[in-house]
Amino acid sequence: MKLLLMMLKNVRRNLIRTILTAIGTMILVLVITGIWSVLEFLDNATSEKSQNIKGIVTERWQIPSQMPMSYARPLEDYSWQGPDNLMTWQFYGGTTDPAKRTFDSVFFAIALEPRKIHTMMDELDTLPPAEKQNLVDIAEKMTLKREGVVVGPGRLKLLKKQVGDRFKVTSFNYRGIDLEFEIVGTFPEGRYDLSAAMNRDYLNDAMDAWTKKAGKPHPMARKTLNLVWFKFPDATVFNDAADKIMNGPDFKEVPVKLETASSGIANFLEAYRDLLWGMRWLLCPAILVTLSMVVANAISISVRERRQELAVMKVLGFVPRQILILVLGEALLLGIFCGGISSSGAYYLVNKVFGGIPFPIAFFGAFKISTHALWWGPAIGATTAFLGSVVPAWSARTVKVSEVFSKVA
Amino acid sequence: MFPMHLLLAAATAAPPLTLADKIVAGVIISICGILMIAVLARVPLIYNIRNLFVRWPITLLTGSAFTLVVGLLVVMLGFVNGMYRLTENSGNKENIIILGQGTQDEVFSSLGFAAVDDIENLPGVMRDDQNRPVVSKETYVIVNQPITNPQPGRPKRRFLQLRGIEVPDLSGLVHRVELQGEWFSTAGVRPDPSGDASKPNLVESVIGQGIARTLAGDVGKESLTIGDQFVVGDRRCVVVGLMLSRGKTFDSEIWAKRDLVGKSFGKETYTTMVLRATTGKEAKRLEDFLKNDYSKGSIDPMLETKYFANLNGTNQQFLYAIMVVAAVMAVGGVFGVTNTMFAAIAQRTKDIGVMRLIGFGRLQILGSFMLESLFIALAGGALGCLLGSFADGWTANSVVGSGQGGGKSVVLELTVDWKIIAQCMLFSLVMGFIGGLMPAVSAMRLKLLDTLR
Repeated sequence: MKLLLMMLKNVRRNLIRTILTAIGTMILVLVITGIWSVLEFLDNATSEKSQNIKGIVTERWQIPSQMPMSYARPLEDYSWQGPDNLMTWQFYGGTTDPAKRTFDSVFFAIALEPRKIHTMMDELDTLPPAEKQNLVDIAEKMTLKREGVVVGPGRLKLLKKQVGDRFKVTSFNYRGIDLEFEIVGTFPEGRYDLSAAMNRDYLNDAMDAWTKKAGKPHPMARKTLNLVWFKFPDATVFNDAADKIMNGPDFKEVPVKLETASSGIANFLEAYRDLLWGMRWLLCPAILVTLSMVVANAISISVRERRQELAVMKVLGFVPRQILILVLGEALLLGIFCGGISSSGAYYLVNKVFGGIPFPIAFFGAFKISTHALWWGPAIGATTAFLGSVVPAWSARTVKVSEVFSKVA
Repeated sequence: MFPMHLLLAAATAAPPLTLADKIVAGVIISICGILMIAVLARVPLIYNIRNLFVRWPITLLTGSAFTLVVGLLVVMLGFVNGMYRLTENSGNKENIIILGQGTQDEVFSSLGFAAVDDIENLPGVMRDDQNRPVVSKETYVIVNQPITNPQPGRPKRRFLQLRGIEVPDLSGLVHRVELQGEWFSTAGVRPDPSGDASKPNLVESVIGQGIARTLAGDVGKESLTIGDQFVVGDRRCVVVGLMLSRGKTFDSEIWAKRDLVGKSFGKETYTTMVLRATTGKEAKRLEDFLKNDYSKGSIDPMLETKYFANLNGTNQQFLYAIMVVAAVMAVGGVFGVTNTMFAAIAQRTKDIGVMRLIGFGRLQILGSFMLESLFIALAGGALGCLLGSFADGWTANSVVGSGQGGGKSVVLELTVDWKIIAQCMLFSLVMGFIGGLMPAVSAMRLKLLDTLR
């Protein structure tokens, strides 16, 4: 207890140095927390699971996958426990300003069955009850009002629209299928921040209407189904379905494949392999080393300034081990406290205030700070503080009383 | 009389300074400034340098933080620079790229045959010595290819960029591709070398050096060479030529006969047409004509340089991310040097008093301590630049795109040039300046009596 009080007093002794070191620690921990959160999310998204597997059916050879919508019905036969565990995705893209197409005016929506939004979509299927109920209500509105669309808050901001607004989209992938939408709700902040979802019936009916009017099928008619999501309880059921689908007689027009969602995401992220490697193995270690150096610098200066004091302490009966603990403790106290403040602050600010870290990579737009960050921060602070202070603390431990006092004399 | 008019004329005639020029000028001015402070203000330079050596452990620690931050920044900027170089090198100013209307990505594009045939005969399109229009009519697909022997924990598939072209030598001419080996034959296929007639013909292909290295990993080689085989979709291909296209997006592509590519992947139409105009000016005229007055097809024409410039969206995103990370990491360096300098001042309070007594002014004290932090920044930054510059020439995978989704997978070469070195040196000096300013001001403000007590 006595040592702890001394540590606290020593930390407060040179406030400028303590504040500088603390701010340095907090900022560097913040960056590490952000980077690790992104990497952890991507690791989770790409690691194969043995249970509760999500699978994706796509065109076997080509990117982007474009299958006939007629595949949706036979695929239901391979869905575990019926069609509720299957979700079709069709991509509808366009612009609200055909004269000047910019990033802000681009509108991109996933056409699906509205009732699947809160049961099948990643992260939305595990929302807390209150947020989930909101999506249930939105899905009902989209079912009743087929032009209804749910939009992410980020995209809504870019479009300069709000719930209740109507707008027209000139499509660039379904030429001639220009649709008018009404915004009936928003996605929670985070993963779907820049996305939107629409009722698939609205798109498919518009395609049919185009065909009737033109007297011939739309050029995209046999290419409207982009991917199909499945939920499987375990790898055995998944493998069985994959085998049947890939060799099924119903899918000859365009060959298809079923792969796990994690495998599909890993393929997309492969192009970013070196970038992610650099973040993991160059950037993070460099920041950690820099942080250790900042701590080492501050503690070294502190020990150097207090050599006489440390000698006096030895004279008063403090043993070297206590002095070592005292100096290490000061650094650890600062590191753990600042690391904790930084990571918990980042968790709150990024997740609750800013709605995620905007780092567009593959098809992920923004990343939330991981809940693990709540212990990462103190751990990073403690580790770097220990590494940075162990040498100066050892040097404090070995201060020779006779040498110090001979210089004073 | 001083020839002022000549000086003014020279200044007006000189080309405008680019940002990089200004940065280099900034570094030179900064270093000259340091030396000028030292010489003109009669700052005791040797005293400062000796102090840095006397307190060498702290100096080393502080300098190392600069080395680390600057070294990492050099590597990161080298990566982005490599991406910019890639997009710049891939476009030719005489070329016009034509995609289907409303598409900005080749993979979504679809062009009508009639329009393509019509456009190639427009006046202004360059013709070769056989009077053929110098155009490249292409079908571009991305193939989701299973990897033969995937390593544990690695993806089981990869995306292959396949470009079907009609007349390979013309496409090579349009894209200024140098070739090792030969272009594929008119048929685009050849029998299996085993002589087994039951085996399907091999698709002849020309591939970039980057993708040759990637595919070679599957068979335990460093790079595929002419005669090697690989699989695309469910067809076996044979390498007949290697594109010497390092530093271009084509480095990551496989080129084969368009008919075969189209049939194999259900894409019968052209996705892309690239035509070469006689001059850059003519290319601009043609682009304007095709954009505003051409009515025989739904097309989106664009100068190729502009098309590739639009693919810099991802580069911009990476650059912004790097700037944020660099700024945050700089905090470490700045606070390190601030701590060091405060400690130096605390230890040398009496020295400061003596210096004041023997005639050094407050500004000289300020300059003296500022110089110390700038020296640390200079030395640490220079070492960081040196270490970071070893990354020059490394290859890395990435994606170039408009930043609105899509894009091209590319193999790029990290490029650390003198502009990056200058930027990073300036960055280091600014860190040193910011970190040293507050302690130097506090040293300057010390009262003479207090220092000697």
